[in-house]
Amino acid sequence: MQNEILFAILALIAIVSSVVMISAHRPIDSALSFIVTLISIAALFGLLNATFLFVVQIIIYAGAILSLILFIIMFLNIKDENLPDEKYKNRWLLATSIIITPFSAILIDLILRSDIAVKAVSYDNFGTIKDVGLTLFGKWVLPFELVSILLLVALVGSVTLSKRKD
Amino acid sequence: MLKAYMILSIILFSIGVVGLVSRRNIIVIYMSIELLLNAVNLSLIAISADLADSSAQVMSLIIIAIAGSEAALFMSLFVVLFRNKGSLDANLFDVLGDKHG
Repeated sequence: MQNEILFAILALIAIVSSVVMISAHRPIDSALSFIVTLISIAALFGLLNATFLFVVQIIIYAGAILSLILFIIMFLNIKDENLPDEKYKNRWLLATSIIITPFSAILIDLILRSDIAVKAVSYDNFGTIKDVGLTLFGKWVLPFELVSILLLVALVGSVTLSKRKD
Repeated sequence: MLKAYMILSIILFSIGVVGLVSRRNIIVIYMSIELLLNAVNLSLIAISADLADSSAQVMSLIIIAIAGSEAALFMSLFVVLFRNKGSLDANLFDVLGDKHG
């Protein structure tokens, strides 16, 4: 029962802050409300016993990526005349929501009809760093190496892009 | 309980798609893409907790790494485009088209 109440509160916070994120005019407001979304999603990970992913979500997303965005917003010194004047922003948001609603309604209906709630027996150290690490370096070692190459390519690419003068 | 997590993930994904399609501020577009990745991560973790299988957690760890490399590339793109155009409007960033040479 306690888990359900916590889930409801966290889901409400996540939905409200993500709506604020896509509808705010200034990028700093969107970034700050996106931090709230990310932290509530991290708390949902903790509620699902994924303790290692909880820590990773807070350190990498809320810690590294969002502080990088905040740093870039501060660094670019964005004024009101640099922002696009989205006169019909609310109309666009409304129209897109009307278009997207039937698709998500079909998906939600499918989820409600399916019988996916098979509750398996969870073992003792499920979701800890040892468990995830053993899976990562066992079955998933090739994707892990490929991701390290991808990170290297992204590093080189971002340095090359930001050093261009034209 | 798994169904509630899946429904929340669908709702967050739809909000992300709405923000991705209807906004013109490039920073908000980037954060909408991150919201899509987070919604997928949430459903993966819910399935992993339900099946007691940690493969899905490794998958979402890899998705987080991909999001990190995407963040690095997007940040350098923001800096380059803002330096050249002086704006965050996504409509101005057609720099690969014919009319700019």
